[in-house]
Amino acid sequence: MTIRLLLVDDHAMVRSGVRTELATDPQIEVVGEAADVETAIAQVHALRPDVVLLDVHLPGGTVRPGGKEVLQRSADLLVSTPEQPPVRFLALSVSDAAEDVIAVIRSGARGYVTKTISGPDLAAAVRRVADGDAVFSPRLAGFVLDAFGTGAGEVATVDDELDRLSAREREVMRLIARGYAYKEVARELFISVKTVETHVSAVLRKLQLSNRNELTRWAADRRLL
Amino acid sequence: MVPMEPTISIPVRPPLVRPETGRVVAGVAAGVAVHLGLPVRAVRILFVLTALGGGAGLLLYIWLWALVPSGEAAQAMPATAPPGPPAAAASARTVVPTTPAGQPGRVGQVATDVPGAGLPGPTARPVSRRVASTRIGDLVVGGLLLAGGLAVLGSQIGWQVPLGAALPLIVVVGGAALVYSQLDEVQDTRWALSGASGRSTALRVAAGVVLVLAGVLLAVIGSTDVAYAGRVLAAVAAMLGGVLLVLTPWGIRFWRDLGAEREARAREAVRADIAAHLHDSVLQTLALIQRNSDDSGQVIRLARTQERELRSWLYGGGSTRADGSRPATLERQVRAAAEDVEDLHGVPVDVVVVGDRSLDERGEALVAALREAMVNAVRHAGAPVMVYVEALPDGVEAFVRDRGPGFDLAAVPGDRHGVRESIIGRMDRYGGSADVRAVPGEGTEVRLRLPDPVPEATEDRDHPEVPDQAPPREQTGVGAGAPAAATPEEAT
Repeated sequence: MTIRLLLVDDHAMVRSGVRTELATDPQIEVVGEAADVETAIAQVHALRPDVVLLDVHLPGGTVRPGGKEVLQRSADLLVSTPEQPPVRFLALSVSDAAEDVIAVIRSGARGYVTKTISGPDLAAAVRRVADGDAVFSPRLAGFVLDAFGTGAGEVATVDDELDRLSAREREVMRLIARGYAYKEVARELFISVKTVETHVSAVLRKLQLSNRNELTRWAADRRLL
Repeated sequence: MVPMEPTISIPVRPPLVRPETGRVVAGVAAGVAVHLGLPVRAVRILFVLTALGGGAGLLLYIWLWALVPSGEAAQAMPATAPPGPPAAAASARTVVPTTPAGQPGRVGQVATDVPGAGLPGPTARPVSRRVASTRIGDLVVGGLLLAGGLAVLGSQIGWQVPLGAALPLIVVVGGAALVYSQLDEVQDTRWALSGASGRSTALRVAAGVVLVLAGVLLAVIGSTDVAYAGRVLAAVAAMLGGVLLVLTPWGIRFWRDLGAEREARAREAVRADIAAHLHDSVLQTLALIQRNSDDSGQVIRLARTQERELRSWLYGGGSTRADGSRPATLERQVRAAAEDVEDLHGVPVDVVVVGDRSLDERGEALVAALREAMVNAVRHAGAPVMVYVEALPDGVEAFVRDRGPGFDLAAVPGDRHGVRESIIGRMDRYGGSADVRAVPGEGTEVRLRLPDPVPEATEDRDHPEVPDQAPPREQTGVGAGAPAAATPEEAT
């Protein structure tokens, strides 16, 4: 079964480049493209792709970053219904700004990769997202560790399980931040790849559901450090 | 009312102040001359002649003396001063011009002469706001003096000056002077009536307007009876209301246009700033890339350097200290080292840093070892090179990972210093540890660990009292799954 993919990026060059790279993967079929917020939302609803490769910064719309608005206005498709599987979003960006990345993740994206990612890695990430797993790039893992880990002073005072990473999740995040692929993480920790994916999904859930405002404030503060 | 006419119509003239130097009596004539752009001698002669012919000049002089604050004529002119050497430019703003002292006849040229002639004189001092020194008390005194002068003038030429007619005049003049004294202030703040000075300005203007209106009403009503005065008042109020009604839309429109214009100017400034930056950096780099398009290594290097520069400009702008320097923190040093390696070898190095702390000598040793590991990675393996540094509550851990062929440390000849001396030896000396793990076909990972010195513990490489911390050469290398409740040690 092929994965139907919608490409959302305002740069035609990026779109064609990604299209070429993903063309080598027989499992992935690019079914559409969009260059701005409104088109993206319309396409997502019209095509109902399995995966949307979403640029974080998009023209159009009223919310910044534009990718966040696409996610917010496609929120009805993020959950699965009896008839339809959910549409899953993978953020793809050159942005280094933690608040942008955290914003799209918290709005429902299943992962974040940078545009420097290699073609095979991107294809693997798309497949992983299509399977319902989360995709963490080293940079995103670094953001997560920074937000939940040693850098966040309020961790000690917060008891909510959502606001903390378990020791195992931390280990997984650290290995991903060090550049390990999922299967390498699995081998390193003597666990299965599926378990790694479970941990990563749990971290993503915490990132999305953790209701502490500190998370977004942390992201904003990062720029001032 | 003759003296008021030139003063009201000139918002762009040099402000009416009494210069501190070049005075004969109180600097009034010199100030008026600068203000009106007339030769000071002519002004003085005029004052003397009018004083002799009935005393009006004398009274005007005294009135101005009381009203006009003393200050620097040059201070209002820095915007028009041509760019000169810094000392001259600075002196134009803060230093009393020396020209008028020696040559009273040329006071009118003070403003334009200053940048050239502005040698720092003994009276150099910081500029003080001249308008702020105007007091309502001065105005009252001045107004009374003027009234007296007019009365004298009137009786000289045979008028019977009724006091009832003089009073409104005094009030009007006082109010007008009050408003006028705020004119420059208001212009300076560009109608932004915010803050304490803005409020007091608004208050003074309002008081002046009220005074003028009251004076005019007094003059109109005169000595007529109270009922009539009431009707006149009502009529005047109605008329003013009508005029206000007609003019308000224009006023609002004008106000909005002003705001929009200022906003547009600010936007334009930002845009120009961005355009200038892009031109200096991105366009230059693109030109260089086109010129070097057949040298792929050079192109990568240029693109990478530019990307980094642009990123730090876009996302890292806030990290400069007040004095403009950047603190030497762990993160910054690691990034700087990675950038150096990138530039030298043309291989991108991805850096992820978690947490941050200030950097001491040991931290610098760690960065140096890390740098050596990066150099090895880019030299022997090539992209992608991943660097991960985490500042833990009890130390720093750093990892450099590549996807090269891997190598066997034991097989490296003993005379090669790179790994053994620059990385492992250096870390050992500073109480840290380093190990290299190479898996053939999967790449190499260098791990550096620098625990914080534990009191009364010698510089040993294992810290058994820290339960979470893995021994340096253990198998998994996951190291410290630091307790979540640990105190953060963020340096910033």
